[in-house]
Amino acid sequence: MKPRVYVFIFLLLIPFQASLLNPLSLAGIKPDLALAMLYIIGLLTSPGEAALAGIGIGLLQDIGSASLIGLTGITRGLVGLSAGLLGRRVLDIGSPSNSIFLAVFSLLEGICISLIMQVLYGSVPFFSLLAERILPQALYTGLLGFLFLQFMGGRDISAMLRRRTVQKEL
Amino acid sequence: MPANGPGALAGERRTISRRVNGKRLTRMTGFIPKHKKLLSFLFLFSLLFWLVTVQVKNGRFTFMEKPVLAISGFFERIITGSFNAVVSVGNGYAFLVSTHQENQRLKEEVERLRLENAVMSEILLENERLRDALNFKRLHPPASVMAQVIGKESSPSSSTVTINKGSDAGIEKGMAVITSAGVVGKVHAVLPGTSKIMLLTDPGSTLAVRVLRNREEGLLEGKLESCAIKYSSYYADIQEGDLLVTSGFDGIYPKGLSVATVVRVTKHEARAFQTVVAEPAVRFSRLEEVLVLTK
Repeated sequence: MKPRVYVFIFLLLIPFQASLLNPLSLAGIKPDLALAMLYIIGLLTSPGEAALAGIGIGLLQDIGSASLIGLTGITRGLVGLSAGLLGRRVLDIGSPSNSIFLAVFSLLEGICISLIMQVLYGSVPFFSLLAERILPQALYTGLLGFLFLQFMGGRDISAMLRRRTVQKEL
Repeated sequence: MPANGPGALAGERRTISRRVNGKRLTRMTGFIPKHKKLLSFLFLFSLLFWLVTVQVKNGRFTFMEKPVLAISGFFERIITGSFNAVVSVGNGYAFLVSTHQENQRLKEEVERLRLENAVMSEILLENERLRDALNFKRLHPPASVMAQVIGKESSPSSSTVTINKGSDAGIEKGMAVITSAGVVGKVHAVLPGTSKIMLLTDPGSTLAVRVLRNREEGLLEGKLESCAIKYSSYYADIQEGDLLVTSGFDGIYPKGLSVATVVRVTKHEARAFQTVVAEPAVRFSRLEEVLVLTK
């Protein structure tokens, strides 16, 4: 992806996630825009590039919050890498299966983070966290990602993907 | 020994050269050059993991915090301001219809609150007289700054909000943040015009509390969705439904502020500590305005 697209994402992702998605909040649960964005980057680029983008986005989120710097960087990097590997096999950006994959990534990342928190801080209420935050957020993120991909699929992004599939065949 | 000689060991760097269109192309076939990308990522992830473990031991780094907060705070103010402007226009029209009833209700409430205030003033004066008589220190309401929440958490491993007031309004790092319902958290980072608030539920948050019922003390720490009392003794008398208030021992929060309600107490015979889980008194999902206690 073009560097200016990354500059745009890195500048606006945190403010968008923190303020623009607040009206979409249901019982305190907001979709994870950064993860949806990263999944799309994974579909459109290579695993390496998506992993680097994931690390960058995660580090930025860590610095912008009170989190330990590097923690979200690790998980987002792994999500980017996995999305990039998956992107080699996904040809239809508007496919509903993307929302399932995205929800699964969100769920796995949430579980991974709560397990790391359990190791670092101890006694994190894992099951209540899973039921009240991780799972609803994963489903919501999957839904947002699906709408996002449908929106993008209807525009020139699908053309970008088509060019990429031609490259893959070559 | 030549690099690509017959005695080259497995994993050692080897090169294969050939000429294509008159140019000499060299391809490295050793393990490290072959898996350069994979090894770079492994190194990068190990570095991040090391960074996390160092912070767990020595406290969170504040590297690049201010520039990131400045940029995100700037855009959050613009987005929230624009959104609020649009919403207020819509609300202004929608609420115009019920303004008369609302006005009547508010007038009645003002009358009721005036009466309550008069009674409270009497009680306060009586309390001060009694305190003087007992040579107790006078209680002064702490100075505070009202701020609007313009952003809510951006990382899945922490709980923070951004407010629209900063160092120019007298806010400093570590100050207590409350609402009428109870404690919200403390100021984590400050810039002119913007501050980042670490909520009670953030894993990095700790707060000295006591049980209102029996003055049992403990240290409340954040667990993302809820809070838990750290190292609560097996024999400590804490029950479900107990209200936790600030003890004032941490030097950040004034004592007596409502913090959380105990929702689960789990005891294991083999353990010296019981698990006490508490729900914060403040609903963070509905947080719109907060008070920062500046003194």
